[in-house]
Amino acid sequence: MKAVFSIALGVIAAIGGFIDIGDLVFNAQAGGSVGTPVLWAVPVGVVGIIVFAEMSGRIVAVSKKPNFVLVKERYGRRLSTFTLVASLVLTVLTLGAELGGLGFVLNYFFDVSVNFFVLVALIGIAAAIYFLPFGGLERVFGYLGLALLVYIAASLKLDPDWGEIGRGFVPESHSAAVYWYFVVGLISAALMPYEIYFYSSGAVEEGWDESDMKVNRANSIVGFALGGLISVAILVASAQVLKPAGISPTSVGTVALVAEQPYAQVGLILAFVGILFAVGGATIDTAFSAAYNLAQHQGWKWGKRFRLLSEPRFTLSLAGFLLIGFAIAQTGVDPIELTEYAVIFSIPVLPLTYLPILLVGNDRNVMGKYVNGPLARVLGWAYFGLICVLAVAAPVLFVATNGGS
Amino acid sequence: MRRLVAFAVLVGIAALLAGCGGPMTPDELSRSIGTLESTAAEGSLLAKDVADDRTKATFARVHARDLSGVVDHEAEKLNDAQADQADVARAKSRAVNLAGRIGTALGQIQIAPGDEAGGRRAQHALDRFSQDAKKLADGL
Repeated sequence: MKAVFSIALGVIAAIGGFIDIGDLVFNAQAGGSVGTPVLWAVPVGVVGIIVFAEMSGRIVAVSKKPNFVLVKERYGRRLSTFTLVASLVLTVLTLGAELGGLGFVLNYFFDVSVNFFVLVALIGIAAAIYFLPFGGLERVFGYLGLALLVYIAASLKLDPDWGEIGRGFVPESHSAAVYWYFVVGLISAALMPYEIYFYSSGAVEEGWDESDMKVNRANSIVGFALGGLISVAILVASAQVLKPAGISPTSVGTVALVAEQPYAQVGLILAFVGILFAVGGATIDTAFSAAYNLAQHQGWKWGKRFRLLSEPRFTLSLAGFLLIGFAIAQTGVDPIELTEYAVIFSIPVLPLTYLPILLVGNDRNVMGKYVNGPLARVLGWAYFGLICVLAVAAPVLFVATNGGS
Repeated sequence: MRRLVAFAVLVGIAALLAGCGGPMTPDELSRSIGTLESTAAEGSLLAKDVADDRTKATFARVHARDLSGVVDHEAEKLNDAQADQADVARAKSRAVNLAGRIGTALGQIQIAPGDEAGGRRAQHALDRFSQDAKKLADGL
Protein backbone atom coordinates (compact mmCIF):
# COMPACT_ATOMS: atom_id res chain seq x y z
CA MET A 1 0.00 0.00 0.00
CA LYS A 2 2.90 2.32 0.82
CA ALA A 3 4.31 1.74 -2.68
CA VAL A 4 0.92 2.63 -4.21
CA PHE A 5 0.73 5.89 -2.23
CA SER A 6 4.35 6.78 -3.07
CA ILE A 7 3.49 7.31 -6.75
CA ALA A 8 0.68 9.82 -6.03
CA LEU A 9 2.73 12.79 -7.28
CA GLY A 10 3.19 11.18 -10.70
CA VAL A 11 -0.48 10.21 -10.86
CA ILE A 12 -1.83 13.70 -10.08
CA ALA A 13 0.74 15.40 -12.33
CA ALA A 14 -0.26 13.10 -15.20
CA ILE A 15 -4.04 12.97 -14.63
CA GLY A 16 -4.22 16.72 -14.00
CA GLY A 17 -1.69 17.40 -16.73
CA PHE A 18 -2.84 15.60 -19.80
CA ILE A 19 -6.37 14.54 -18.95
CA ASP A 20 -7.57 18.04 -18.15
CA ILE A 21 -10.84 19.54 -19.41
CA GLY A 22 -9.44 20.44 -22.84
CA ASP A 23 -7.57 17.18 -23.34
CA LEU A 24 -10.58 15.05 -22.38
CA VAL A 25 -12.56 16.62 -25.20
CA PHE A 26 -9.52 16.71 -27.53
CA ASN A 27 -8.97 12.95 -27.11
CA ALA A 28 -12.65 12.31 -27.85
CA GLN A 29 -12.45 14.64 -30.88
CA ALA A 30 -9.40 12.74 -32.16
CA GLY A 31 -11.25 9.43 -31.78
CA GLY A 32 -14.44 10.81 -33.34
CA SER A 33 -12.72 12.58 -36.25
CA VAL A 34 -9.75 10.48 -37.35
CA GLY A 35 -10.09 7.41 -35.13
CA THR A 36 -7.35 5.03 -34.05
CA PRO A 37 -4.67 5.87 -36.70
CA VAL A 38 -3.43 8.70 -34.42
CA LEU A 39 -2.96 6.43 -31.38
CA TRP A 40 0.83 6.33 -31.81
CA ALA A 41 1.05 10.00 -30.87
CA VAL A 42 0.02 9.24 -27.27
CA PRO A 43 3.01 7.01 -26.36
CA VAL A 44 5.34 9.44 -28.16
CA GLY A 45 4.13 12.22 -25.84
CA VAL A 46 4.10 9.96 -22.77
CA VAL A 47 7.71 8.82 -23.27
CA GLY A 48 8.73 12.48 -23.69
CA ILE A 49 7.12 13.61 -20.44
CA ILE A 50 8.53 10.55 -18.62
CA VAL A 51 12.05 11.44 -19.81
CA PHE A 52 11.78 15.06 -18.62
CA ALA A 53 9.83 14.35 -15.42
CA GLU A 54 12.34 11.70 -14.37
CA MET A 55 15.18 14.11 -15.15
CA SER A 56 13.60 17.01 -13.21
CA GLY A 57 12.85 14.74 -10.22
CA ARG A 58 16.46 13.53 -10.25
CA ILE A 59 17.70 17.14 -10.36
CA VAL A 60 15.54 18.00 -7.33
CA ALA A 61 16.80 14.92 -5.46
CA VAL A 62 20.42 15.96 -6.06
CA SER A 63 20.33 19.78 -6.05
CA LYS A 64 16.96 20.57 -4.31
CA LYS A 65 16.25 22.98 -7.19
CA PRO A 66 12.81 22.96 -8.84
CA ASN A 67 12.38 23.81 -12.48
CA PHE A 68 11.81 27.55 -12.29
CA VAL A 69 14.93 28.05 -10.18
CA LEU A 70 16.85 26.39 -13.04
CA VAL A 71 15.13 28.72 -15.53
CA LYS A 72 16.19 31.72 -13.47
CA GLU A 73 19.77 30.54 -13.07
CA ARG A 74 20.31 29.54 -16.71
CA TYR A 75 18.51 32.37 -18.53
CA GLY A 76 19.33 35.61 -16.75
CA ARG A 77 16.80 38.28 -15.81
CA ARG A 78 15.19 39.24 -19.14
CA LEU A 79 14.62 35.78 -20.57
CA SER A 80 13.57 34.31 -17.24
CA THR A 81 11.03 37.13 -16.80
CA PHE A 82 9.70 36.48 -20.31
CA THR A 83 9.43 32.76 -19.49
CA LEU A 84 7.66 33.61 -16.24
CA VAL A 85 5.11 35.91 -17.89
CA ALA A 86 4.40 33.50 -20.76
CA SER A 87 4.05 30.54 -18.39
CA LEU A 88 1.78 32.51 -16.05
CA VAL A 89 -0.50 33.55 -18.93
CA LEU A 90 -0.70 29.95 -20.12
CA THR A 91 -1.21 28.50 -16.66
CA VAL A 92 -3.80 31.02 -15.48
CA LEU A 93 -5.81 30.70 -18.71
CA THR A 94 -5.78 26.94 -18.19
CA LEU A 95 -6.76 27.41 -14.54
CA GLY A 96 -9.77 29.46 -15.66
CA ALA A 97 -10.70 26.72 -18.12
CA GLU A 98 -10.44 24.03 -15.43
CA LEU A 99 -12.64 25.99 -12.98
CA GLY A 100 -15.15 26.55 -15.78
CA GLY A 101 -14.97 22.83 -16.58
CA LEU A 102 -15.71 21.96 -12.95
CA GLY A 103 -18.76 24.23 -13.14
CA PHE A 104 -20.03 22.36 -16.22
CA VAL A 105 -19.42 18.92 -14.66
CA LEU A 106 -21.21 19.78 -11.41
CA ASN A 107 -24.09 21.28 -13.37
CA TYR A 108 -24.55 17.95 -15.19
CA PHE A 109 -25.24 16.42 -11.76
CA PHE A 110 -27.52 19.07 -10.27
CA ASP A 111 -28.71 21.51 -13.01
CA VAL A 112 -28.66 24.83 -11.18
CA SER A 113 -26.29 27.06 -13.18
CA VAL A 114 -22.74 26.73 -14.44
CA ASN A 115 -21.64 30.03 -12.88
CA PHE A 116 -23.01 29.00 -9.49
CA PHE A 117 -21.05 25.75 -9.63
CA VAL A 118 -17.89 27.56 -10.71
CA LEU A 119 -18.18 29.40 -7.38
CA VAL A 120 -18.82 26.11 -5.55
CA ALA A 121 -15.76 24.62 -7.28
CA LEU A 122 -13.61 27.60 -6.28
CA ILE A 123 -14.66 27.25 -2.63
CA GLY A 124 -14.14 23.46 -2.72
CA ILE A 125 -10.66 23.74 -4.26
CA ALA A 126 -9.64 26.55 -1.88
CA ALA A 127 -10.84 24.48 1.10
CA ALA A 128 -8.96 21.40 -0.14
CA ILE A 129 -5.78 23.46 -0.58
CA TYR A 130 -6.12 24.97 2.89
CA PHE A 131 -7.08 21.87 4.87
CA LEU A 132 -5.34 18.98 3.09
CA PRO A 133 -1.60 18.40 3.26
CA PHE A 134 0.27 18.19 -0.06
CA GLY A 135 0.22 14.37 0.02
CA GLY A 136 -3.52 14.43 0.75
CA LEU A 137 -4.20 16.64 -2.28
CA GLU A 138 -2.20 14.28 -4.48
CA ARG A 139 -4.04 11.22 -3.21
CA VAL A 140 -7.59 12.57 -3.23
CA PHE A 141 -7.44 14.12 -6.69
CA GLY A 142 -4.97 11.70 -8.29
CA TYR A 143 -6.58 8.46 -7.17
CA LEU A 144 -10.25 9.49 -7.45
CA GLY A 145 -9.38 10.72 -10.96
CA LEU A 146 -8.62 7.09 -11.69
CA ALA A 147 -12.38 6.51 -11.95
CA LEU A 148 -11.57 7.45 -15.55
CA LEU A 149 -10.30 3.88 -15.87
CA VAL A 150 -13.97 3.22 -16.79
CA TYR A 151 -12.88 4.20 -20.31
CA ILE A 152 -10.52 1.22 -20.44
CA ALA A 153 -13.39 -1.08 -19.47
CA ALA A 154 -15.64 0.75 -21.97
CA SER A 155 -13.21 0.41 -24.84
CA LEU A 156 -12.88 -3.34 -24.09
CA LYS A 157 -16.64 -3.86 -23.83
CA LEU A 158 -17.26 -2.01 -27.08
CA ASP A 159 -15.35 -4.85 -28.77
CA PRO A 160 -12.88 -2.88 -30.87
CA ASP A 161 -10.98 -4.20 -33.88
CA TRP A 162 -7.67 -5.12 -32.21
CA GLY A 163 -5.83 -5.29 -35.52
CA GLU A 164 -6.87 -1.71 -36.24
CA ILE A 165 -5.77 -0.61 -32.78
CA GLY A 166 -2.42 -2.34 -33.21
CA ARG A 167 -1.91 -0.58 -36.57
CA GLY A 168 -2.80 2.71 -34.86
CA PHE A 169 0.39 2.48 -32.80
CA VAL A 170 2.50 2.42 -35.98
CA PRO A 171 3.07 5.90 -37.47
CA GLU A 172 2.06 6.23 -41.09
CA SER A 173 2.58 8.87 -43.74
CA HIS A 174 -0.55 10.95 -44.18
CA SER A 175 -1.40 13.95 -46.32
CA ALA A 176 -4.46 15.15 -44.37
CA ALA A 177 -3.70 18.23 -42.26
CA VAL A 178 -6.39 17.25 -39.78
CA TYR A 179 -4.55 13.97 -39.06
CA TRP A 180 -1.36 15.90 -38.23
CA TYR A 181 -3.33 18.43 -36.21
CA PHE A 182 -4.47 15.67 -33.87
CA VAL A 183 -1.01 14.02 -33.83
CA VAL A 184 0.65 17.31 -32.81
CA GLY A 185 -2.13 18.07 -30.31
CA LEU A 186 -1.88 14.66 -28.63
CA ILE A 187 1.91 14.90 -28.27
CA SER A 188 1.74 18.52 -27.04
CA ALA A 189 -0.99 17.66 -24.50
CA ALA A 190 1.40 15.29 -22.75
CA LEU A 191 4.13 17.94 -22.62
CA MET A 192 2.22 20.92 -21.18
CA PRO A 193 4.75 23.02 -19.22
CA TYR A 194 2.78 23.29 -15.97
CA GLU A 195 3.00 19.50 -15.49
CA ILE A 196 6.76 19.65 -15.19
CA TYR A 197 6.70 22.76 -12.97
CA PHE A 198 4.23 21.03 -10.66
CA TYR A 199 6.15 17.74 -10.68
CA SER A 200 9.55 19.24 -9.85
CA SER A 201 8.13 21.58 -7.17
CA GLY A 202 6.12 18.65 -5.80
CA ALA A 203 9.34 16.69 -5.46
CA VAL A 204 10.70 19.54 -3.32
CA GLU A 205 7.45 19.53 -1.28
CA GLU A 206 7.94 15.82 -0.65
CA GLY A 207 11.56 16.38 0.37
CA TRP A 208 13.12 13.99 -2.14
CA ASP A 209 16.83 13.30 -1.80
CA GLU A 210 19.29 10.88 -3.35
CA SER A 211 17.60 7.96 -1.59
CA ASP A 212 14.39 8.66 -3.56
CA MET A 213 15.70 7.90 -7.04
CA LYS A 214 13.53 4.77 -7.28
CA VAL A 215 10.46 6.67 -6.05
CA ASN A 216 11.13 9.32 -8.71
CA ARG A 217 11.45 6.69 -11.42
CA ALA A 218 8.26 4.93 -10.29
CA ASN A 219 6.34 8.23 -10.15
CA SER A 220 7.42 9.38 -13.56
CA ILE A 221 6.98 6.03 -15.33
CA VAL A 222 3.85 4.62 -13.65
CA GLY A 223 2.04 7.95 -13.14
CA PHE A 224 2.48 9.28 -16.66
CA ALA A 225 1.95 5.85 -18.25
CA LEU A 226 -1.40 5.61 -16.41
CA GLY A 227 -2.36 9.02 -17.77
CA GLY A 228 -1.37 7.88 -21.26
CA LEU A 229 -3.38 4.68 -20.91
CA ILE A 230 -6.52 6.64 -20.02
CA SER A 231 -5.92 8.97 -22.99
CA VAL A 232 -5.68 5.95 -25.29
CA ALA A 233 -8.83 4.43 -23.78
CA ILE A 234 -10.87 7.63 -24.29
CA LEU A 235 -9.66 7.86 -27.86
CA VAL A 236 -10.43 4.19 -28.63
CA ALA A 237 -13.88 4.29 -26.99
CA SER A 238 -14.70 7.51 -28.87
CA ALA A 239 -13.57 5.96 -32.14
CA GLN A 240 -16.04 3.12 -31.46
CA VAL A 241 -19.00 5.28 -30.44
CA LEU A 242 -18.64 8.70 -32.07
CA LYS A 243 -16.86 8.10 -35.37
CA PRO A 244 -19.45 5.73 -36.92
CA ALA A 245 -22.22 8.19 -35.96
CA GLY A 246 -20.34 11.20 -37.38
CA ILE A 247 -20.22 12.98 -34.03
CA SER A 248 -17.55 15.58 -33.35
CA PRO A 249 -17.66 16.36 -29.62
CA THR A 250 -17.69 19.93 -28.42
CA SER A 251 -18.32 19.49 -24.70
CA VAL A 252 -17.36 17.29 -21.79
CA GLY A 253 -20.92 15.91 -21.80
CA THR A 254 -20.14 14.05 -25.02
CA VAL A 255 -17.10 12.45 -23.38
CA ALA A 256 -19.36 11.16 -20.57
CA LEU A 257 -21.94 9.99 -23.12
CA VAL A 258 -19.25 7.68 -24.57
CA ALA A 259 -18.90 5.84 -21.23
CA GLU A 260 -22.69 5.60 -20.96
CA GLN A 261 -22.98 3.52 -24.13
CA PRO A 262 -21.58 0.24 -22.75
CA TYR A 263 -22.39 0.70 -19.05
CA ALA A 264 -25.50 2.92 -18.97
CA GLN A 265 -25.87 5.00 -15.78
CA VAL A 266 -22.97 3.33 -13.95
CA GLY A 267 -20.64 4.28 -16.81
CA LEU A 268 -21.99 7.82 -16.82
CA ILE A 269 -21.50 8.31 -13.07
CA LEU A 270 -18.00 6.79 -13.04
CA ALA A 271 -17.03 8.96 -16.00
CA PHE A 272 -18.26 12.12 -14.27
CA VAL A 273 -16.58 11.23 -10.95
CA GLY A 274 -13.31 10.62 -12.82
CA ILE A 275 -13.69 13.83 -14.84
CA LEU A 276 -14.56 15.82 -11.71
CA PHE A 277 -11.43 14.75 -9.86
CA ALA A 278 -9.14 14.81 -12.91
CA VAL A 279 -10.24 18.38 -13.70
CA GLY A 280 -10.02 19.19 -9.97
CA GLY A 281 -6.46 17.81 -10.05
CA ALA A 282 -5.70 20.00 -13.07
CA THR A 283 -7.06 23.00 -11.15
CA ILE A 284 -4.71 22.20 -8.25
CA ASP A 285 -1.79 21.61 -10.66
CA THR A 286 -2.27 24.91 -12.45
CA ALA A 287 -2.96 27.03 -9.35
CA PHE A 288 0.12 25.69 -7.59
CA SER A 289 2.30 25.86 -10.72
CA ALA A 290 1.52 29.55 -11.19
CA ALA A 291 2.24 30.33 -7.52
CA TYR A 292 5.38 28.15 -7.48
CA ASN A 293 6.79 29.81 -10.60
CA LEU A 294 6.20 33.33 -9.32
CA ALA A 295 7.64 32.55 -5.87
CA GLN A 296 10.67 30.74 -7.29
CA HIS A 297 11.34 33.55 -9.76
CA GLN A 298 11.08 36.17 -7.00
CA GLY A 299 13.05 34.14 -4.47
CA TRP A 300 10.17 33.98 -1.96
CA LYS A 301 9.61 31.27 0.61
CA TRP A 302 7.14 28.86 -0.98
CA GLY A 303 5.41 25.52 -0.56
CA LYS A 304 2.52 23.67 0.98
CA ARG A 305 4.96 21.94 3.34
CA PHE A 306 5.05 25.17 5.39
CA ARG A 307 2.04 26.71 7.09
CA LEU A 308 0.37 28.89 4.46
CA LEU A 309 0.06 31.77 6.93
CA SER A 310 3.83 31.75 7.49
CA GLU A 311 4.51 32.61 3.83
CA PRO A 312 2.05 35.41 3.01
CA ARG A 313 3.43 36.30 -0.43
CA PHE A 314 3.17 32.72 -1.72
CA THR A 315 -0.26 32.26 -0.12
CA LEU A 316 -1.58 35.55 -1.51
CA SER A 317 -0.32 34.73 -5.00
CA LEU A 318 -1.96 31.28 -4.82
CA ALA A 319 -5.25 32.90 -3.75
CA GLY A 320 -4.83 35.65 -6.36
CA PHE A 321 -4.34 33.17 -9.21
CA LEU A 322 -7.38 31.20 -8.10
CA LEU A 323 -9.44 34.41 -8.11
CA ILE A 324 -8.18 35.41 -11.57
CA GLY A 325 -9.06 31.93 -12.84
CA PHE A 326 -12.50 32.30 -11.25
CA ALA A 327 -12.99 35.69 -12.93
CA ILE A 328 -12.04 34.19 -16.30
CA ALA A 329 -14.47 31.29 -15.80
CA GLN A 330 -17.26 33.70 -14.74
CA THR A 331 -17.07 35.49 -18.09
CA GLY A 332 -18.86 32.44 -19.50
CA VAL A 333 -16.08 31.69 -21.96
CA ASP A 334 -16.17 28.11 -23.28
CA PRO A 335 -13.51 26.19 -21.29
CA ILE A 336 -12.68 24.00 -24.28
CA GLU A 337 -11.97 27.03 -26.50
CA LEU A 338 -10.01 28.59 -23.65
CA THR A 339 -7.67 25.61 -23.45
CA GLU A 340 -7.12 25.91 -27.21
CA TYR A 341 -6.00 29.53 -26.73
CA ALA A 342 -3.83 28.40 -23.82
CA VAL A 343 -2.04 25.99 -26.15
CA ILE A 344 -1.17 28.95 -28.40
CA PHE A 345 0.39 30.70 -25.39
CA SER A 346 2.29 27.53 -24.48
CA ILE A 347 4.29 27.72 -27.70
CA PRO A 348 7.13 29.98 -26.54
CA VAL A 349 7.12 28.35 -23.12
CA LEU A 350 7.59 24.76 -24.27
CA PRO A 351 11.27 24.89 -25.35
CA LEU A 352 12.12 27.44 -22.63
CA THR A 353 10.68 25.10 -19.99
CA TYR A 354 12.50 21.97 -21.07
CA LEU A 355 15.95 23.28 -22.05
CA PRO A 356 17.23 24.07 -18.51
CA ILE A 357 16.26 20.58 -17.30
CA LEU A 358 18.29 19.04 -20.10
CA LEU A 359 21.28 21.32 -19.54
CA VAL A 360 21.40 20.68 -15.79
CA GLY A 361 20.69 16.96 -16.18
CA ASN A 362 23.71 16.74 -18.52
CA ASP A 363 25.95 18.77 -16.17
CA ARG A 364 28.26 16.43 -14.23
CA ASN A 365 29.37 19.28 -11.94
CA VAL A 366 25.82 19.60 -10.59
CA MET A 367 24.58 16.03 -10.91
CA GLY A 368 27.73 14.05 -10.00
CA LYS A 369 27.11 10.33 -10.40
CA TYR A 370 23.43 11.01 -11.17
CA VAL A 371 24.25 12.84 -14.42
CA ASN A 372 22.19 11.80 -17.49
CA GLY A 373 23.34 8.52 -19.01
CA PRO A 374 23.65 8.02 -22.79
CA LEU A 375 19.97 7.00 -23.16
CA ALA A 376 18.65 10.01 -21.21
CA ARG A 377 20.94 12.34 -23.22
CA VAL A 378 19.86 10.97 -26.59
CA LEU A 379 16.17 10.89 -25.68
CA GLY A 380 16.41 14.31 -24.04
CA TRP A 381 17.90 16.02 -27.09
CA ALA A 382 15.63 14.12 -29.49
CA TYR A 383 12.56 15.24 -27.56
CA PHE A 384 13.86 18.78 -27.24
CA GLY A 385 14.14 18.86 -31.05
CA LEU A 386 10.61 17.48 -31.32
CA ILE A 387 9.32 20.13 -28.89
CA CYS A 388 10.83 22.87 -31.07
CA VAL A 389 9.13 21.37 -34.16
CA LEU A 390 5.81 21.17 -32.27
CA ALA A 391 6.15 24.79 -31.21
CA VAL A 392 6.17 25.80 -34.88
CA ALA A 393 3.72 23.18 -36.20
CA ALA A 394 0.93 23.59 -33.63
CA PRO A 395 -0.29 27.10 -34.55
CA VAL A 396 0.14 26.48 -38.28
CA LEU A 397 -2.00 23.33 -38.13
CA PHE A 398 -4.51 25.04 -35.84
CA VAL A 399 -5.13 27.73 -38.46
CA ALA A 400 -4.89 25.36 -41.47
CA THR A 401 -7.50 22.92 -40.09
CA ASN A 402 -9.72 25.51 -38.44
CA GLY A 403 -9.10 23.91 -35.08
CA GLY A 404 -9.35 20.34 -36.38
CA SER A 405 -12.86 20.72 -37.78
CA MET B 1 13.49 39.83 -30.87
CA ARG B 2 11.35 42.96 -31.37
CA ARG B 3 11.10 42.24 -35.09
CA LEU B 4 10.05 38.68 -34.34
CA VAL B 5 7.30 39.86 -32.00
CA ALA B 6 6.13 42.48 -34.52
CA PHE B 7 6.04 39.83 -37.24
CA ALA B 8 4.05 37.46 -35.02
CA VAL B 9 1.53 40.21 -34.23
CA LEU B 10 1.15 41.06 -37.94
CA VAL B 11 0.60 37.40 -38.83
CA GLY B 12 -2.04 37.18 -36.09
CA ILE B 13 -3.88 40.29 -37.32
CA ALA B 14 -3.73 39.07 -40.94
CA ALA B 15 -5.13 35.69 -39.89
CA LEU B 16 -7.95 37.39 -37.99
CA LEU B 17 -8.78 39.70 -40.90
CA ALA B 18 -8.72 36.77 -43.31
CA GLY B 19 -11.49 35.14 -41.32
CA CYS B 20 -13.77 38.21 -41.29
CA GLY B 21 -16.28 39.62 -43.73
CA GLY B 22 -17.29 38.64 -47.26
CA PRO B 23 -20.07 36.34 -48.44
CA MET B 24 -20.30 32.76 -47.20
CA THR B 25 -18.36 30.22 -49.26
CA PRO B 26 -19.62 26.67 -49.95
CA ASP B 27 -16.80 25.40 -47.75
CA GLU B 28 -17.89 27.54 -44.78
CA LEU B 29 -21.51 26.51 -45.28
CA SER B 30 -20.49 22.87 -45.46
CA ARG B 31 -18.62 23.20 -42.13
CA SER B 32 -21.64 24.82 -40.55
CA ILE B 33 -23.98 22.09 -41.82
CA GLY B 34 -21.42 19.53 -40.57
CA THR B 35 -21.92 20.95 -37.07
CA LEU B 36 -25.69 20.50 -37.44
CA GLU B 37 -25.19 16.91 -38.65
CA SER B 38 -22.89 16.08 -35.71
CA THR B 39 -25.18 17.72 -33.15
CA ALA B 40 -28.27 15.93 -34.47
CA ALA B 41 -26.39 12.60 -34.40
CA GLU B 42 -25.29 13.22 -30.81
CA GLY B 43 -28.83 14.22 -29.86
CA SER B 44 -30.07 10.97 -31.36
CA LEU B 45 -27.57 8.98 -29.25
CA LEU B 46 -28.72 10.82 -26.12
CA ALA B 47 -32.40 10.35 -27.05
CA LYS B 48 -31.82 6.61 -27.51
CA ASP B 49 -30.47 6.40 -23.94
CA VAL B 50 -33.54 8.31 -22.71
CA ALA B 51 -35.79 5.90 -24.62
CA ASP B 52 -34.00 2.86 -23.15
CA ASP B 53 -33.89 4.36 -19.62
CA ARG B 54 -30.08 4.13 -19.61
CA THR B 55 -29.25 7.68 -18.56
CA LYS B 56 -29.77 10.16 -15.72
CA ALA B 57 -32.61 12.62 -16.31
CA THR B 58 -30.59 15.64 -15.10
CA PHE B 59 -27.70 14.83 -17.45
CA ALA B 60 -30.08 14.28 -20.39
CA ARG B 61 -31.79 17.62 -19.74
CA VAL B 62 -28.58 19.63 -19.35
CA HIS B 63 -26.83 18.00 -22.28
CA ALA B 64 -29.86 18.40 -24.56
CA ARG B 65 -29.90 22.09 -23.58
CA ASP B 66 -26.17 22.39 -24.41
CA LEU B 67 -26.71 20.74 -27.80
CA SER B 68 -29.68 22.97 -28.44
CA GLY B 69 -27.45 25.98 -27.69
CA VAL B 70 -24.93 24.76 -30.30
CA VAL B 71 -27.69 24.45 -32.91
CA ASP B 72 -29.15 27.88 -32.07
CA HIS B 73 -25.72 29.49 -32.35
CA GLU B 74 -25.13 27.82 -35.71
CA ALA B 75 -28.57 28.91 -36.93
CA GLU B 76 -27.82 32.52 -35.93
CA LYS B 77 -24.49 32.43 -37.77
CA LEU B 78 -26.13 30.97 -40.86
CA ASN B 79 -28.97 33.48 -40.75
CA ASP B 80 -26.59 36.45 -40.44
CA ALA B 81 -24.20 35.31 -43.17
CA GLN B 82 -24.51 36.69 -46.68
CA ALA B 83 -24.64 34.27 -49.62
CA ASP B 84 -24.01 35.62 -53.11
CA GLN B 85 -24.26 32.36 -55.03
CA ALA B 86 -27.84 31.12 -55.59
CA ASP B 87 -27.11 27.48 -54.69
CA VAL B 88 -25.32 28.53 -51.47
CA ALA B 89 -28.21 30.84 -50.53
CA ARG B 90 -30.71 28.01 -51.11
CA ALA B 91 -28.69 25.52 -49.04
CA LYS B 92 -28.19 28.14 -46.31
CA SER B 93 -31.91 28.70 -46.03
CA ARG B 94 -32.56 24.95 -45.81
CA ALA B 95 -29.85 24.65 -43.18
CA VAL B 96 -31.49 27.36 -41.03
CA ASN B 97 -34.79 25.50 -41.32
CA LEU B 98 -33.12 22.20 -40.42
CA ALA B 99 -31.47 23.79 -37.40
CA GLY B 100 -34.90 24.86 -36.17
CA ARG B 101 -36.24 21.31 -36.43
CA ILE B 102 -33.18 19.85 -34.68
CA GLY B 103 -33.65 22.39 -31.88
CA THR B 104 -37.31 21.38 -31.50
CA ALA B 105 -36.44 17.67 -31.25
CA LEU B 106 -33.75 18.40 -28.66
CA GLY B 107 -36.30 20.49 -26.77
CA GLN B 108 -38.43 17.33 -26.36
CA ILE B 109 -35.56 15.67 -24.40
CA GLN B 110 -34.95 18.84 -22.43
CA ILE B 111 -38.58 19.21 -21.38
CA ALA B 112 -39.25 15.54 -20.56
CA PRO B 113 -35.95 13.68 -20.01
CA GLY B 114 -37.80 10.82 -18.30
CA ASP B 115 -40.33 10.27 -21.10
CA GLU B 116 -39.21 7.09 -22.83
CA ALA B 117 -41.75 7.25 -25.67
CA GLY B 118 -40.89 10.89 -26.31
CA GLY B 119 -37.21 9.95 -26.27
CA ARG B 120 -37.82 7.33 -28.96
CA ARG B 121 -39.66 9.86 -31.15
CA ALA B 122 -36.84 12.40 -30.69
CA GLN B 123 -34.28 9.71 -31.52
CA HIS B 124 -35.92 8.87 -34.84
CA ALA B 125 -36.42 12.53 -35.73
CA LEU B 126 -32.83 13.47 -34.92
CA ASP B 127 -31.54 10.48 -36.87
CA ARG B 128 -33.44 11.70 -39.90
CA PHE B 129 -32.24 15.30 -39.46
CA SER B 130 -28.65 14.13 -39.22
CA GLN B 131 -29.02 12.29 -42.53
CA ASP B 132 -30.73 15.31 -44.09
CA ALA B 133 -27.82 17.51 -43.01
CA LYS B 134 -25.33 15.07 -44.51
CA LYS B 135 -27.19 15.07 -47.84
CA LEU B 136 -27.34 18.86 -47.80
CA ALA B 137 -23.59 19.16 -47.17
CA ASP B 138 -22.78 16.50 -49.80
CA GLY B 139 -24.81 18.45 -52.37
CA LEU B 140 -22.64 21.55 -52.06
